[in-house]
Amino acid sequence: MAAAALYGAGGAMKGGKLGMEGAVDMQLNRIRITLSSKNVKNLEKVCADLVKGAKAKELRVKGPVRIPTKVLHITTRKSPCGEGTNTWDRFEFRIHKRVIDLISSPEVVKQITSITIEPGVEVEVTIADV
Amino acid sequence: MAGRGGRKPRNFATFRLFPRAGAADPNDRVFVRVDHNDYNVPGFADEDSFDSNFTADAADLHSSASGPLPEHVRREILELGFPDDGYNYLFHLRELRPAADAASSFVPSSTARPEPLPLDVKAYDASRVRVAPSADDLDEGKTMCKVAAKTAPLRRVQRAVDPDVARLLDESDFSHAGSEDEGLEEDFVIMANQAEGDDEVEEEDEELGNGIFSDVEEEEEFEDEPKPRVRRLLDEQFDLLALEEYGDSDDDDDRGGRDGDYELPREAIDELKLFRDQNGCVDEDYRTPADFVRGKLESTTADEVDESANVMRKCAEYAERYLNEPAEEKEIVLVSESSDESEVWDCETIVSTYSNLDNHPGKIETPGNCRKRFPRVFPGETATTNDLIKLHGKEKLPVDYLPQRKRNGEKEKKVKPAEALNAEKVKKEAHKETKEEKKARKAAVKEEKREARKAKKELKGLYKSETQKAQKVAAVTGPSSIRLM
Repeated sequence: MAAAALYGAGGAMKGGKLGMEGAVDMQLNRIRITLSSKNVKNLEKVCADLVKGAKAKELRVKGPVRIPTKVLHITTRKSPCGEGTNTWDRFEFRIHKRVIDLISSPEVVKQITSITIEPGVEVEVTIADV
Repeated sequence: MAGRGGRKPRNFATFRLFPRAGAADPNDRVFVRVDHNDYNVPGFADEDSFDSNFTADAADLHSSASGPLPEHVRREILELGFPDDGYNYLFHLRELRPAADAASSFVPSSTARPEPLPLDVKAYDASRVRVAPSADDLDEGKTMCKVAAKTAPLRRVQRAVDPDVARLLDESDFSHAGSEDEGLEEDFVIMANQAEGDDEVEEEDEELGNGIFSDVEEEEEFEDEPKPRVRRLLDEQFDLLALEEYGDSDDDDDRGGRDGDYELPREAIDELKLFRDQNGCVDEDYRTPADFVRGKLESTTADEVDESANVMRKCAEYAERYLNEPAEEKEIVLVSESSDESEVWDCETIVSTYSNLDNHPGKIETPGNCRKRFPRVFPGETATTNDLIKLHGKEKLPVDYLPQRKRNGEKEKKVKPAEALNAEKVKKEAHKETKEEKKARKAAVKEEKREARKAKKELKGLYKSETQKAQKVAAVTGPSSIRLM
């Protein structure tokens, strides 16, 4: 398929429009991809890849929406016993979330997401009617 | 949202990426549906819905609540060692990742060697040496050569475990139940009585007896079997001599050897046989010669009476003759018993049958507090020039009363006169000597410093507890910069 060849090259080519004509016939759904991770770098990388892949296939993409990071705090005493100056440890756990909206068919989305997977990034895909 | 009756129509499907169950690679993930809406997306989910993996078993569970578990489930449960009581233990298990197996399974080291021999022990492997069964001429030189040819020195010796002990240790859990029914294993009285009937049981008991009590009762068993080996010329000679001495002109061919001490002499047996044959066992009544002699039976002829009397006399004669004989032949059996007080065995040595000569399992004790040794002679007592006790150094210790200073003092005295001599030599002799003198002096100083350092270290160690206490006090009262330790 032309789309696959496009993707193998890894670059956005305008020639893909020809391939897209066949794709238009397939049913389209609104697809929301939610990416969450502790690791910003990996997350941003995955987002960028997804957007790039989607744009390469000439899909309508609503760029990564950054949901405010949730910070989970854990504050504990440093000492294992009660003795000593009351020093406290402040640990935090940051969860970053990005949302990407597409309009395409589910098969294409599956293709895209299966390739751009980084460990530690959780992916959730919600599919609805157009 | 207020005022609406029901929910909004949920026309969407949500999929999440999960790592595949049982996969080693965490990046191997599949889409699994996580919601229960009616909306269907054909062909998106890689696997059936999230619940389906579990509902497959759950269906089994729910169905099994009413009936028994399916066969394959039961078999798997049994294989894992869980009891077959109708509960599905698999529900609580999960598959291990293949990588986890390496961490959880134990592989014994192939490069591990048994510990080397101690320096004062030499070990030889003599498994190939053959002890000649009938050594007619015990030529020491030849046997030594033969033995030497077959033995090989060893570097390491593995502690041998008695196979019987190992066997018993392994099956200790199972065999105890049955052993009590069979009776005591060392009950040789019962065994001896059973000797006629049950040969197999006897052998078993004997074997077990050999295994457990091999060390102690070895000697006893050895005495019980006087002729396990092949007959030698010496044995034949002995038998002939015995026969000569103790008289027997009858046939020797039947004699294979002396069986027991309590067999009647041949002549008596022959006589009794003759008697029996003559009188027959027609009536099935047991008759003795005495019956005939004393005339207790009805039909007695004079011949029978005479014969019976003869038989009785002869039996008495033979009995007297042979009465003394067995006493001489009896061998004195020496059994060394271990008294409880003299030999103290520890559990490990007894069970492992290792000798206590080189096996010394240690006793675990509480660590005792080390007792500091103080010098018995306080040098300060001799050097009481004035009543003041001088304190020197950072720790403010009474210098004169410490053990080390005396030695230093001696050394200084030794060094000083030497120095003085050297100094005089210098004045007398040429300037060439100054180098050597300098070297000597410097060496002396170095030596002194070394000794001083050693002394200081010893002293510090001696008074460590004191400095600790001082440190504690200083930490509370003094400024935080004080460090005494």
